[in-house]
Amino acid sequence: MTGDNVKPAGGKESWDAKQYHEVKKGDTLWKIAEKYYGDGSLYNKIFETNRDILKNPDAIQVGQKLHIP
Amino acid sequence: MKRNFISIAAILLFTAVMIVACGSRDKGPAELAIKTAEEAVNIAKTEAENILPDQVAALESALASAKDKLAKGEFKAVLTEAQGLAGKAKEVVAAAKAKKDELTQKWTELSEELPKMVEAIESRVDILSQAKKLPAALTAEKLAEAKSGLAAAKEDWTKAQESFKAGSLADAISVATSVKEKAVKAMETLDMPVPEAAK
Repeated sequence: MTGDNVKPAGGKESWDAKQYHEVKKGDTLWKIAEKYYGDGSLYNKIFETNRDILKNPDAIQVGQKLHIP
Repeated sequence: MKRNFISIAAILLFTAVMIVACGSRDKGPAELAIKTAEEAVNIAKTEAENILPDQVAALESALASAKDKLAKGEFKAVLTEAQGLAGKAKEVVAAAKAKKDELTQKWTELSEELPKMVEAIESRVDILSQAKKLPAALTAEKLAEAKSGLAAAKEDWTKAQESFKAGSLADAISVATSVKEKAVKAMETLDMPVPEAAK
């Protein structure tokens, strides 16, 4: 799972403890939550953390880098 | 015969007086050198005791030895040793300053970054604790292990901050390093990416 981590663009990389996921074709927040938490119903945790780039939990874009809390 | 005896006695007496006179001539400078060395060692003790305790102990031992020689009247040896000791004390102070700068930089880095690691783990543990089912790579036992590691890391972090406030920079860094190790282990257990700088 850690291999899927994407480094934030322009961020401080050396000590960055945040985990990121780059949205791929077919991804939904539910699927991403299932992948990292084992439970898709926790998708809202990802949505709330990424409210700065997500307006709607059902509208994620391929290539978006989501912070996985 | 009697004249010869008197002459030899006079020569011996003169020699003895000269030896004593020369020795006494070195006494003042030797005492001054000890005083200077003692001041330098005291400065080293104040500046370096917490950073380089072994080197400060060696200086104190050398000073005690020089004082012992002063008491025995070995003034020339005292002069040489005390002058060297003052120089060594200055070197210890300089080394301690360099070490302190290095430790301060390390502490600044750890105190800025470790709380972020701990926060990331705490956030993940909180979310995973709410999950009805865990990810394939994580068992309930592993999650419990990570929770326990997180609690220990937080406890150690409090201790590290207390050591820093008490002025024990080396101890603070030592405990903070233990926090980092526990955080790394918890991240690995939770299958989270470990920051490069923490590896």
